[in-house]
Amino acid sequence: MFSSHRHDDLKEMLDSNKDSLKLEAMKRIVAMIARGKNASDLFPAVVKNVACKNIEVKKLVYVYLVRYAEEQQDLALLSISTFQRGLKDPNQLIRASALRVLSSIRVTIIVPIMMLAIKEAASDMSPYVRKTAAHAIPKLYSLDPEQKDQLIEVIEKLLADKTTLVAGSVVMAFEEVCPERIDLIHKNYRKLCNLLIDVEEWGQVVIINMLTRYARTQFLNPNINEGGSGDKTFYGSDEDEDEDEEEKEKKPYVMDPDHRLLLRNTKPLLQSRNAAVVMAVAQLYFHLAPKAEVGVIAKALVRLLRSHSEVQYVVLQNVATMSIKRRGMFEPYLKSFYIRSTDPTQIKVLKLEVLTNLANETNISTILREFQTYIKSMDKDFVAATIQAIGRCATNISEVRDTCLNGLVQLLSNRDELVVAESVVVIKKLLQMQPEKHSDIIKHMAKLTDNIQVPMARASILWLIGEYCEHVPKIAPDVLRKMAKSFTNEEDIVKLQIINLAAKLYLTNSKQTKLLTQYVLNLAKYDQNYDIRDRARFIRQLIVPTEKSGALSKYAKKLFLALKPAPVLESPFKDRDHFQLGSLSHLLNAKAGGYQELPDWPEAAPDPSVRNVEVKESVRAVGTVTHRDTGALWGPQRMEGSESCSFPRAVPQRGVFLQTIAPSSALKSYELLHRITGEGLSVEYCFSRQPFSPDANMVAVQMQFTNSASSDTKNLHIEDVKLQSGMRVKEFPEIELLPAGETATAVMGIDFCDSTQAANFQLCTHTRKFFVSIQPPVGELMRPVFLTENEFKKEQGQLMGMNEITEKLTLDVKCRNEHAIVQRVTTAANLSRVPCGSDKECRFAGRTVTSGSLVLVTVATKEEGAAQLTVNCEKMVIGTMLVKDILQALTQ
Amino acid sequence: MISQVFILSSKGDHLIYKDFRGGAGNDIVSIFYEKVTALTGDQPPVVMNHKDIYFVHIRQGGLYWVATTTAGSSPFTITEFLNRLAALVKDYCGSLSEKSVQMNFALIYELLDEIVDYGYIQTTSSDVLKNFIQTEAVTSRPFSLFDLSNVGLFGAETQQSKVAPSSAATRPIQSSREQGGKSEIFVDVIERMTVVIGSNGLLMKADVEGEIRVKCYMPSCSEMRIGLNEEFSIGKSQLRGYGAAVRVDECSFHQAVRLDEFDSHRILRLCPSQGEQTVMQYQLSDDLPSALPFRLFPTIERDNGGSAAINVCATIPVPKGSVSLSQELSSPDQSAELKPQSRAVVWKIARFAGGTQLSALFKLEVPSLSSASMLEVGPVGLSFELPKITATGLQIRFLRLSPIQPGPSQRWVRYVTHSDSYTIRI
Repeated sequence: MFSSHRHDDLKEMLDSNKDSLKLEAMKRIVAMIARGKNASDLFPAVVKNVACKNIEVKKLVYVYLVRYAEEQQDLALLSISTFQRGLKDPNQLIRASALRVLSSIRVTIIVPIMMLAIKEAASDMSPYVRKTAAHAIPKLYSLDPEQKDQLIEVIEKLLADKTTLVAGSVVMAFEEVCPERIDLIHKNYRKLCNLLIDVEEWGQVVIINMLTRYARTQFLNPNINEGGSGDKTFYGSDEDEDEDEEEKEKKPYVMDPDHRLLLRNTKPLLQSRNAAVVMAVAQLYFHLAPKAEVGVIAKALVRLLRSHSEVQYVVLQNVATMSIKRRGMFEPYLKSFYIRSTDPTQIKVLKLEVLTNLANETNISTILREFQTYIKSMDKDFVAATIQAIGRCATNISEVRDTCLNGLVQLLSNRDELVVAESVVVIKKLLQMQPEKHSDIIKHMAKLTDNIQVPMARASILWLIGEYCEHVPKIAPDVLRKMAKSFTNEEDIVKLQIINLAAKLYLTNSKQTKLLTQYVLNLAKYDQNYDIRDRARFIRQLIVPTEKSGALSKYAKKLFLALKPAPVLESPFKDRDHFQLGSLSHLLNAKAGGYQELPDWPEAAPDPSVRNVEVKESVRAVGTVTHRDTGALWGPQRMEGSESCSFPRAVPQRGVFLQTIAPSSALKSYELLHRITGEGLSVEYCFSRQPFSPDANMVAVQMQFTNSASSDTKNLHIEDVKLQSGMRVKEFPEIELLPAGETATAVMGIDFCDSTQAANFQLCTHTRKFFVSIQPPVGELMRPVFLTENEFKKEQGQLMGMNEITEKLTLDVKCRNEHAIVQRVTTAANLSRVPCGSDKECRFAGRTVTSGSLVLVTVATKEEGAAQLTVNCEKMVIGTMLVKDILQALTQ
Repeated sequence: MISQVFILSSKGDHLIYKDFRGGAGNDIVSIFYEKVTALTGDQPPVVMNHKDIYFVHIRQGGLYWVATTTAGSSPFTITEFLNRLAALVKDYCGSLSEKSVQMNFALIYELLDEIVDYGYIQTTSSDVLKNFIQTEAVTSRPFSLFDLSNVGLFGAETQQSKVAPSSAATRPIQSSREQGGKSEIFVDVIERMTVVIGSNGLLMKADVEGEIRVKCYMPSCSEMRIGLNEEFSIGKSQLRGYGAAVRVDECSFHQAVRLDEFDSHRILRLCPSQGEQTVMQYQLSDDLPSALPFRLFPTIERDNGGSAAINVCATIPVPKGSVSLSQELSSPDQSAELKPQSRAVVWKIARFAGGTQLSALFKLEVPSLSSASMLEVGPVGLSFELPKITATGLQIRFLRLSPIQPGPSQRWVRYVTHSDSYTIRI
């Protein structure tokens, strides 16, 4: 009764005209949902407000609608028309939001409407809407799996999308709807690899995982020649050694360049601040990289250990698995796994596991010293784990076995029962491996019976003496004598072991112990505990031959002194690596629902040409050019250039090919301002390679402004230019008005002073200011000059010695003809071709824009793709950087 | 892929529950709570399962942040997501507590809606999200600067929860937009020390992990330049200047930080987005530039001058079965007590002036004392906070905003070093 009253009150508020009342009502309703209370009876009243103008109310209505639409299908249909209208809205945010809510309403009847909406949105001009379309695909698929074929078509279309925003989302859809259609990836593989660094971080995780699976089906195992050597050599499988071996063997394996591309492009992501991305790359390297290269992930994983304890826990699980297979990788970071007193127990135990895996002859003394202090910890589970770890070190490394045993024996005098019990158990295991060597320890333990009071420990020692009484023939009867004396005062578990000891001694050494045994058995016969009475009776029947005792007593010795198998001390993480690292199944060490097993490497490589895409040559270069490897010290330093929007160009036929290529056909454009940061304004720029007429010493930068916001942008201009000394900028004339949806271009000139330092400035509109920077690739700092062959040789003769840089290289497979070389060099640098008599050489010339220094480039080709690159330039810095860029352009 | 996300109070009350994929029973939350409370030990496993449903949870702000998943998605993704979610909620609501979550459920729903779509994480970048979020945060306390005297740094997870974070840095980031809130920017340098001192008093291991965190309330902060010590150097080889270098072994930066002036002038440039972010993280192992802040022999003494330490607490494990404790402490504002469950003496020093030395004598009564019980004493764990000090010596030289902000703006730079694990072996 009460609740229905309250709901009436809410209904009234929802029907009112005031937005504030509606908002208040919706907040209360959403609060009910938040607490898990049922608010479904309000559906009619809420659904009316779906068209409400107030955006806050509207969003809360969406929350409600998505939650209850499935239960109230008929009423939910009332809202559909509102969303259909929203799909046509000029504002991309509204289009996207309408699609998102529409696709979240789980009502079967609207499947056709959803399908249509997704198809339309997939070709929307806004990448944000296309991204939403990608997200809607799995929703529709789960609502009606029969739409699969149509949805795959949409996925195929979106996979071809070149924007980073869409890439992550469409791969998510691919993984959910049709992960088996690996063929859809072929054509997009290189693009995905190259876009990866600029994709949103959560998208990166999904793409990397998908590419791991892809690579496992398409490439050959890079470690194929080593055939499981990791298992054979338990000790000293140093990475260096392996590397040497690899080099010695002339192996026929050659890595597919696409395989290499994946490894190279994911490596910088190890610096990501998102732990999920780092782990995704780490598992990719672990599963795909040649052994010698896996080491790079160790540092990144160790860095994750500074994160929240939950992340640490998951990382350590994976490190534990990896450290078994690739121990050398983590050895330099041994100290990072030392335990801190503030770590939670589960992390301590995992760190112990890693330390144990890393132990070898050289570091064992350090590790043992560390372990010793851990034993003093107050955390009992941890102490128990430490003792076990010592035991494992002792079995693995024979040099320290005695030291460990002695240390463990000392622990027997600990007052903590748990420590003693655990030590005894571990000692027992160690002794079982080679009892003959350690009779002195058994003797020592026998002596301890005088002092040790912990029943569990006394019992364990007695068991040991009984088991190995043949190794200590003199002491064992004496121990039994002492025990017989104190029998009545012992705890029950100790009494049972005294009986056992007596029985074993009777069987092996009945001459000395016959009377003692009978005395003990007599005492036990009248014990208060019936277990002990039973045991005594049973044993007497078994070992003392009488007329009644049957056939069993013949086997008494076999029964008692059977050889007990030595326990195996090994890591619980030993076989975990058959699960893909970083997966839920790996963490749980059990196959979780939906786990996709990582496919095994193929025996023979599938056709690599399926990944060839005709027009994408320039795209491949982009991803690698924009990321500069600045060493591992800094995080990924991101330059603005990202989207590869190069204009597709037809590859000219060899016959039609002109001597000098007009370089403007292959302009690469870079992003200056992203649409989202620019609040609707996006700016791209390219180096137009045209002379900048107002000042010949400047590089012309052509900028393209696109206004995708809903309102006009006014007064676009540049302000507050910050430059290194000597640099100059000629601003473009102010753009007074850029209407919504329009595009404008402008050209500005920058004098970079022949350096690749960035020009930083503010891009201002009438409302906002954006900080942007333009950093030129070195190839853009020059302009072509035309030289004859003789002039070239003359100039080259004057630029020898320090001014000449020569590099040997192997040309990329697709770059072994003259035309391809010319094209790649001129794409990388703004140079013109110099005629040449020999067909084994290509020559190029240019001058730097500011100082007019000559830049001469020669590529001399030899047999089988070998080539030599020579750059002559009096500016050595320019020369060095240019060599690097051209080298990169020619080898990929 | 995430099926559900829910936030529970430590008592198991439902605060937020959102089902992304449908199909889960209503009792899923209580099943989780039963599982998590049934376990003993200081921390339940991060991943637990019930039939086909896998729970991944983290604890932050005294709340359980839980996500469930059915298919085999990476546990990394989910833990990372939950941490990001907690950070975002903290940014948007001002602080993380049962109360703030309860008051801002509408806002959190809106956030969840934008972050996750049908179980797929879309974005967690606050720069992107701020374009979409409409709801205003509700805060329990009006903002005042009066309690700045007791500034708790927002990034410092101190072991003593007593230092309440001042409300200065626990405002929601959005309110500044409409309410004309103060343009403020906080730059905190936080260092955590992990130290192990051997029984002979020699330093065995010392690690400092530091970070520079920025919390920005500027609605449209353009560019910020943070200048570090000029003699700051990274790695062993690079020695700069003449004086004592401020050296770290390793450091990494937030993606938004531009480093073009770092090499020459040690200036970090960035355009901070609203909310909290870690701009730089660094680490130094083994050779600390300054002497250790604390030494403990039979007594504890402090041997480097400077300011005072607060909330110093020494935990000394004692033999099992210790029944009583008598103590002699050198000043009245200290306290010591014997905790039989954890078998330790806890000695608390509320304020420990720099350059001074405190001593305490504890007498313990242990029945049946043997030589073995002596082994059970130690190691001593020390926890502390050192405001206004960095162990590495890192300093912020200047903090400049450009262009000059219109209206009043305040810039705060704060330092703290606190113990992560400071162990003295006996």
